[in-house]
Order: sequence, then C-alpha cells, then structure tokens
Amino acid sequence: MKDVEPNPMDSSRPIVAMQGITKTFGSTRALRGVDFTVMPGEIHALLGRNGAGKSTLVSALSGFTPADGGTIRIARTEVVANGQSYAATIRDDIAHVQQTPRLFDQLTVAENLFIENPAVRTRWGGVSHARMIEKATALLAEWQIDIRPTALAGALDAGTRQLLEIIKALNRGVPVMILDEPTAALSNAEKRILFDHVRSLKARGVSFVYISHHLDEVFEVADTVTILRDGQIVTARAEVASLDVETIANLMMGKTTLRSVREDHTASDATPLLQAQDLRIRPDSAPINLTLRRGEIVALAGPVGSGKEDLAMILAGHRAPAAGSITSPTGILPQRGLVPTDRHASGYVGILGVRENVAIGGLDLLSNRLGFINRRKEAEHVGRLARQTNVIASSLEQPVGQLSGGNQQKVVFARSLCHSPEVIVALSPTRGVDVGAKEQLYALLRDLAGKGMGVVVVSDEEDEISQLANRVVIVFEQAVVDELVGDYSMKDLILRMEGVA
Amino acid sequence: MMAKGQNMAQTGGPSKWSAFGSAFVANGFTMYPVLLLLVIVGAVVAPRFLSPTNLINILEQISVLGLTTIGLTFVVLIGRLDLSLEGIVGFAPMLAAVMLVPATSGGFGVELPSWMGLIVALGAAGLIGLFNGFMVVRVGLNPFISTLGLLVLLRGGVLIISNGRSIYSPGPALTWLGSEKVLGIPVAVLVFLFVALIVGLVFQYHRYGRALYAIGGNEEAARAAGINVDRVIWSAFFFAGLLAGLAGVLMTGRLDSAVTTQGEGIIFSAFAAAVIGGVSLGGGKGNIIGVISGVLLIGVINNLLTLAQVPSFYVQASTGAVIIVAAVLTTLASRRSSGMKTRT
Repeated sequence: MKDVEPNPMDSSRPIVAMQGITKTFGSTRALRGVDFTVMPGEIHALLGRNGAGKSTLVSALSGFTPADGGTIRIARTEVVANGQSYAATIRDDIAHVQQTPRLFDQLTVAENLFIENPAVRTRWGGVSHARMIEKATALLAEWQIDIRPTALAGALDAGTRQLLEIIKALNRGVPVMILDEPTAALSNAEKRILFDHVRSLKARGVSFVYISHHLDEVFEVADTVTILRDGQIVTARAEVASLDVETIANLMMGKTTLRSVREDHTASDATPLLQAQDLRIRPDSAPINLTLRRGEIVALAGPVGSGKEDLAMILAGHRAPAAGSITSPTGILPQRGLVPTDRHASGYVGILGVRENVAIGGLDLLSNRLGFINRRKEAEHVGRLARQTNVIASSLEQPVGQLSGGNQQKVVFARSLCHSPEVIVALSPTRGVDVGAKEQLYALLRDLAGKGMGVVVVSDEEDEISQLANRVVIVFEQAVVDELVGDYSMKDLILRMEGVA
Repeated sequence: MMAKGQNMAQTGGPSKWSAFGSAFVANGFTMYPVLLLLVIVGAVVAPRFLSPTNLINILEQISVLGLTTIGLTFVVLIGRLDLSLEGIVGFAPMLAAVMLVPATSGGFGVELPSWMGLIVALGAAGLIGLFNGFMVVRVGLNPFISTLGLLVLLRGGVLIISNGRSIYSPGPALTWLGSEKVLGIPVAVLVFLFVALIVGLVFQYHRYGRALYAIGGNEEAARAAGINVDRVIWSAFFFAGLLAGLAGVLMTGRLDSAVTTQGEGIIFSAFAAAVIGGVSLGGGKGNIIGVISGVLLIGVINNLLTLAQVPSFYVQASTGAVIIVAAVLTTLASRRSSGMKTRT
C-alpha cells in the first residue's frame, strides 16, 4: 500500500462525503443521520417532498446553516460539524445557489458578478473597474444574456436575477455546486442555456447537487438520484435511468401515516361567495377565473414565485389585481379575513397582549358610535375567539411575543375571524407550527368550512393540502394551470405539484 | 385536546409580586416612586417647595411642555417622530399675533378681530401637522429629515413674519388660556389636565388609540388586520401639530407676548419626558400616565434646582444627567417586567 495523498479529482473517490449528518430546529428533527456522497463530474439530483430535508441537507453541505453533528468532506477539506459555523472553511470548495437570488440591488451587474473576486483586484488591493466591466461583458455574452454590465441588479427581472446568481456561483471555479430550485424563475430559453452550461461544466469535472420540483428536469439533466423523506435517506445513489416517475412518487410519499382527513362541506348548489373574473396578477399574465363557494376549502399550490401568494392576497382584498375584478353575486363583497404568510413580519404585534391583537381585527364592530371600545363586548368576543382557536396563554393580557409559535398563529387566526368574515384566506397557515397545533388549526379550518365559510389556503405542503382541500388549484407562472377536485389521491397531488401532469 | 374551560390555564407561574411589578411598569407608574422621593427631598432641602404657590407654579410651567409631549407621543407611538413641534410652538401663536395687532405694533396690518386669534393659531398648527403627514405618508420621506427641515424653516419663518421683533399683548383670545385663573388654578393647568384626560381615554379605550399601538408594534400586522394605516399616521401628525399649537398659545398667554425665541429647545425636553415616561421610541409602547410622570419629573427637577439656588450654569447640565439616569431606569424596568428588549 502506497502512502500517497489521493488525488481529489480521482474519479473513483467521492468529491463530497457527508456522514451521519444531523440537524434539529427546535422540536423538529430535520435531518436524522444522513449519509450523502457525490462523485466528481456527477449531476446528483436530491428529491423529496417539501419538508423532507433537501434544503436543510444542502445548506448543511455549504455551511449556510451548519449541521449539528456528523462529518463533511468536500474535496480535501474535512469538517466535523457541531452546530458552529464552518462556511468559511469550505468557501473555496463549494458554491450554493439558493432558491431566492441574493443580489445587491443597489450594485451593478458587473459589481454583483465580481464581488469579493480576486480576478478584478489591482496590485494595490483596489478594484479595477475597467477589468470588471470587460470580464462581465464577456461572461454575459457567453451566457447570451442581453443586459448591460452597468445595469443595476435591482432593475432586472426575476429570471435574469436567478441566472446572474448562478453565473456568480459558477464563476467562482469551485469543484462542487449546489443548485436549489434553479429553474423556478427561468423561462424555457433560459433553462436551455443553464442546462448547456451545467453539462459543459460537468464535462470539465465539476459536480452538481441539483434540487428541483420538476421531475422532467431531473430526468433530463441528472445522472444520479437520492431521495429523502422525513430527514432520512430512502434511496441513495440510484441511477436516474433505473427509475420512473411512478417509482419516484412512491418513494417520496412513503407509507401514509394516520392523520386527520379532509371533509367536504362544499355545497355545490350554493351561490358563490367570490368570483374572480379575468383576473390578471401581472399585466402580462394569463387571465384567471376562479369561484369560491360556501363550505369549500380551496388550496392554491405551485412552485415558489408562481404567484399563488399574490393571487391569495388579491382574493383577500389586500392587493389590487393588474386587471379584472373580484365580484360577488349578491353585489356586496363578503367580509374577508386574512392570515398573512409570515406571522412574525405581518401576523401579530409582539408587544401587545392577546386581547389587543385579536381586537384590532374588528375594532369597528367592538366600538360604539363615538369609537370607544365596549370593553365588555371586547372581552366576550375575544374570549370566544380565543376559545374557538384554542389559544393557550397565561391570560388574555399576555404579550403575544411570549407565546409559542403555534399559539401565536392561533392568535393570528383569531384576529382574522374577529370581524366575523364569510371568507378566510390563510397563507402558509401552519408554517413553523408544531404537529399538535397544526391538527388544531386544520380542525378549525374544517369547522369554519362546515359553518358555511369559504376557505382559501396557500400551502407548499402536500400533506397539508391533502388533509384540508376539497379543491386544489395549481398556480404556475401567474396563471391557473390545473385543478384537482373532489376525491383526488396523494399521488395525483404530488405529481401535479411536481409539474408532471 | 384541552377542555374548553381550561384554555386560559396558567402556563407560566409568575408570582403575585412580579405580576404586580409588570402591571406597575406597563401602566406607566415606574417613575412615580422616583417623583415621590424627589418631592420628599425637595421638602427637606427647600421648605418653600411644598407651598401651594410653588406647586401651582410647577404645574403652570409644565403645562406647555406637557401638551407638546402629549402631541409628540401620538407620533412616537406609531414609531415616527416630529421635530417640527418645537417650530410650531413658536410659529403658530406668532402668526396669529401678527394677524391681530395693528401694523404699528409690528403686525401685518390685517387686524383680524381678536376672537380669531385662537382659530388662526390652532388652524395653522393643524395645517402644519397635516403637511408633515403628507410628507411622510404620500411623499414617503423619513420623518426625521422632513420634520427637521420644517423645524428650521419655521424658526426662520417666525423671524420673517415678526420682522425679528416680539409682539406684546396680542389680544385676549390668544392670551386668555395662558394667563387667566379659575378658582386660583391657572387655566393652562386645567387645559393640560383636560387634554391629558381625553387623550388618555382615547389611547386606552378608543379604536383610534388601539390602531396607534398596533401600528407602532407591527405596522404590517396592523395593515393585514384591516387598519387604514396611512390615515392613522396622517392624523397622528395632525394631532401632534394641533397640540403643539395649543402649547404655543398657552406660552404666549403666560408671557402676554409672542416671543421670537418661543419654544426653543422644547422638543428635547419633550423627547426626554416621553422616554422617561416609558414611551418607546421604537413605537407601540407608552401611555399618558407615564408621559405625565416624565413631564412632572422634568418640571420638579428644574424647580428644585432653582429653589436650591444651584448656579444656573449647572441647572441645564444636571437636568441632562437626570434625564439619562431616568431613561436608564425606565428601560431597565420595562425590560425586566416584560422580558423583552425594547428600544427606548
């Protein structure tokens, strides 16, 4: 046996080797001892449903969110994870393109591309503007992107921004690249350019970890597939040729665990509560026609950036459509309650108590003609809503900032119900909420539908949708492209959400 | 799942005392023990301090600062600020004065009937407040810079309209509130207490007050809850301007003249009083009981230092030091009681 340092580009030795990776967020075990390897010059697709741990795994690999335990080796660099940041150690070995571009909007395209890049430094440590523009121009030409290198990054459209982010990462000359949903914002032409570049880099020995919600892309570009489920590997390093859509869906889904099931309170003959007519999210997007009936739970599903959240905000009356209108057959639009997507940013007021948080949803109902709050009415109304939504707090005066995530979300639900709405629009209703509270919120939504309200839910979670929705509306590129009604199966849902119709 | 009756069950186990402490701080009483201490100290070092004349004197002196601070509290509660209030205190009564008095006394020569004085002053103050709201809501300026500009502009405006000269005896409509006494109590004090009472009730029990707190705590959440955030911000600037105008009228009444330097430096005392009184500059926190304690504290300290014959050079510096100490106390108390960090 010869005692020689192995060549990192030796094609028989993995370029990435992760072993026993664990990561816990609060009470959620996102990764439970995952082993993951990537060979040099391989495009390795990482599949799994939302919440399976794909993004967490690649974030652990790039050090973006450090793993709690396990070992990571990339090329020659070895890291023992203990929850501390190690991103700096592996910076020269790996690049991570995240789902949403992280560009500096106030800097130009060239500056974004070459930020912290030694290639444009002068001898004295300054940045050579001329060299930066020259290199950026060449790079943009190579990628067939028709923009000036001096344009501000903030002024570009979503697809170009995504491409820039990818170019920036590819340009760093690292041996391993992570592409997390790189095509979400790309047009078909842009996709083609991206794939060409990925293939040519692959030919030069660069390895890719590729996450996508579009199985057809995986079949087109990937060599190897690893499937994650509930933070564990279910299939490691399968040849992509040995798999078909059916098998992948089954593996991703796993055995179904016993959870609460959806109920159908839809009254098909009931008059619609809301009707969207020729609604356009953007001036150039396709028109949307959508009806919401009493007793119905409609889920809006689709990839990141598809416009499902915009559509929900328009339905809730919190955003104006680019064209078209929302009407009601009665002529008067029903009262609508909104559960916003990020409860910390726009859900609750942390320094105020439960009572005040709930009451701001219906101040006019609770006050007299002069605008003074009727304290007795307020206490009764808020108390009833807090019981209905199962808020657990030391008292109604406890600041909402002190409550657990689940209870905060229940307070947001209570507030959205404060004005006795007929329609409730809930965006990511159970994000960051524990399983118990999740089931309580599901029960609440079903109960509301049972009482004749119309419910619109925006969700990324297939489980959530299948437990709640009587109708699933698939939104893609600011338009409704598909619909599942009635007795749809989990497999139907997953395949539609993965873009395989 | 829990039975319905148990939902409100105790989750933490705060003792009776800590609950009392939290309520004490949250309701704005933090500074009152300190005030009591100061009063006792004052009574010992300066026997004149507790005389009714002196106490009424203190109240009369603080009523101008008090009204300005209450006005400021409107905008600070929603996480904004308004530096131009100081300018309004000087400008609004001066404008009224030059409209009333004859040209020989330094007026414009318009010589409006005397009863118009109060209307002109408060009208101008309200309009300036609306202008501030417009700049912040519609134009989207940062209130720090827009109201700073306006403050400087109004300071210059006072000199322009008055030709740099103070105007004496501008007429009863403008001076009555600030100079008369009812049953031995200055009307200015009654005005301050009345405004404090009304605003206190609005903050606590009116839907408008709830909206102010919600916007200051989390503007986006207030928007999502259906509150017309822009309108509330706009109106908060309006009320702030109006109250600063009223404060200016009281000041003019007390001096029986509109002075060109009227109100100079008052905005700093108003910020100090608000913060000492537990109003968070980050928004969403504070109430009238606290604001009054802050105003009283500054008034009592000024009075005590004067009575104790502290050289005037030292009065200003000591007031500043007390402000810092009091602000530290308030911040620590509110952090301990709520367990949350707040920016004061």
